[in-house]
Amino acid sequence: MTVAFALTGIHKQYPQFTLSDISLSLPHGQIMGLVGVNGAGKTTLLRILTGLVRADRGDVRVLGLRMPEDQVAVKADTGFASEDMRLYKSQTLRWHMDLIAAIYPGWDENYARDLLRRFDLKSDQSIGGFSHGQRVKALLLLCFARRPRLLLLDEPTTGLDPVARSEVLEVLSDVLRDETRSVLFSSHNTHDVEQLADSISFLHQGRLIASQDKERFLDDWRRIVCFGDYTPEWPEIAAARRNGSVLELKVRDFCGELPARLAAHGLTVQSVDPMRLEDIFVTTVRAGAPA
Amino acid sequence: MNSLNVPVIKRLIAKDWLLFQKQMAAYVLTGILSLCLLGMARPWSFYIGSLLLIIVLVATSCFAISTSLINERKEHNLAFVMSLPIAPLDYYLAKLIGNLVTFAVPFLVILIGTLAAILLTPLPDGLVVYSLLIFGHILLAYCVALSVAMAVESEGWNIFVMIASMVMINPFMMGLSQIESIHGVIRGEAIIFSSAAIVILTTQVVVSLLLLVGTGWVHCRKVAFY
Repeated sequence: MTVAFALTGIHKQYPQFTLSDISLSLPHGQIMGLVGVNGAGKTTLLRILTGLVRADRGDVRVLGLRMPEDQVAVKADTGFASEDMRLYKSQTLRWHMDLIAAIYPGWDENYARDLLRRFDLKSDQSIGGFSHGQRVKALLLLCFARRPRLLLLDEPTTGLDPVARSEVLEVLSDVLRDETRSVLFSSHNTHDVEQLADSISFLHQGRLIASQDKERFLDDWRRIVCFGDYTPEWPEIAAARRNGSVLELKVRDFCGELPARLAAHGLTVQSVDPMRLEDIFVTTVRAGAPA
Repeated sequence: MNSLNVPVIKRLIAKDWLLFQKQMAAYVLTGILSLCLLGMARPWSFYIGSLLLIIVLVATSCFAISTSLINERKEHNLAFVMSLPIAPLDYYLAKLIGNLVTFAVPFLVILIGTLAAILLTPLPDGLVVYSLLIFGHILLAYCVALSVAMAVESEGWNIFVMIASMVMINPFMMGLSQIESIHGVIRGEAIIFSSAAIVILTTQVVVSLLLLVGTGWVHCRKVAFY
């Protein structure tokens, strides 16, 4: 299996924040959602992958090449858009498109025009006159139309109004249909991640606390509501909340025999439901343990 | 060491030139106006012309640095540029050459214009050496400000260095007036490069070059570009 990127033992120290011992890889052609609260280290991780930040230690390989040593070759095949990346205000989108087209031989002008239409952007308008949503869409257009093998998107839907968010997600879904393209996108919006990603990684306080396939994530977790006085403290119970005789359990590594085991301890199981990704993420972060 | 990505470096230089060419043209025009005043060779016009000339040169150097480097960081354009297929050395060279070109064009136009104004009008030719030393100071001050802008991210420090290096032109001119072999020949018709003038000019050029090389070394060791 070839990988789009592989991080091994990455460490980056800032005065107020440390990204510690990150080992993570993305198989070629897959989409990974990187979930974390603000300040979790998502942006730092993406910046290390793009060569904008040099890790203090650890090994970074992107598209089979070492970073930052081979960053020119890596960047030639990578599209990176970040929430805090800005285009030149005084220039038009067309000027930026021409600049990118001149640098990237894979620039697809027809696709760029299609994206202009779908994003409802005017190429002859100055970037300074764009709204936040239009600026984000312009950046994504510049990334997508160069047809990179790896897309690194930092919070691509943050701050967008519902219409702009839907347009971006729709185009992103189209881009992701291309199985030769790998994508890592960060978000604190778990709904977007749940909608698009093949695999999910949780980052919290600079540490990777979980990383696996989305389906496995969702299969492994259950919310169980039961009645009774006993409160189990078993390793698979990530969270337990009692309200009188009603006990709500959030369970990781769920297996079919658990309801019977709860019943054996005098608990009456009322419901066993799958959990949404957001709930899994919040429970994982609060539990402070690997999912 | 990886080879330079010359086509992208050229693109980035052209980008900076395109971004600033209108303002630079305005500076050149103002420079030509000040040269016209100089060329009138009247005391009042010489005073206003030389003052305007120094203002234009200082403004040219400050504009190029603040717009292409400090603003680019402040406006978060740096992450966009560094996401293009370039290494830190490519970026440094693109910025260095881009800045030198945007500064050098008006600088050279005004320098040549000044020498022409001195040599072709009733102004005394002895002013040539003194003028070259003033231009040498502007070049050195520009290189100091450019080096700091590339190596230091603090906007406050950058503004301080930019202003301080340019303001030093006053004590520099005062210092020149104390050197008889330079000041004493200003009103004459002979162009005399005294040993003091040669030492100062050489120092200005060598220090400028060393600063730029040192900045490149520092820049290639930076660990963050955003």
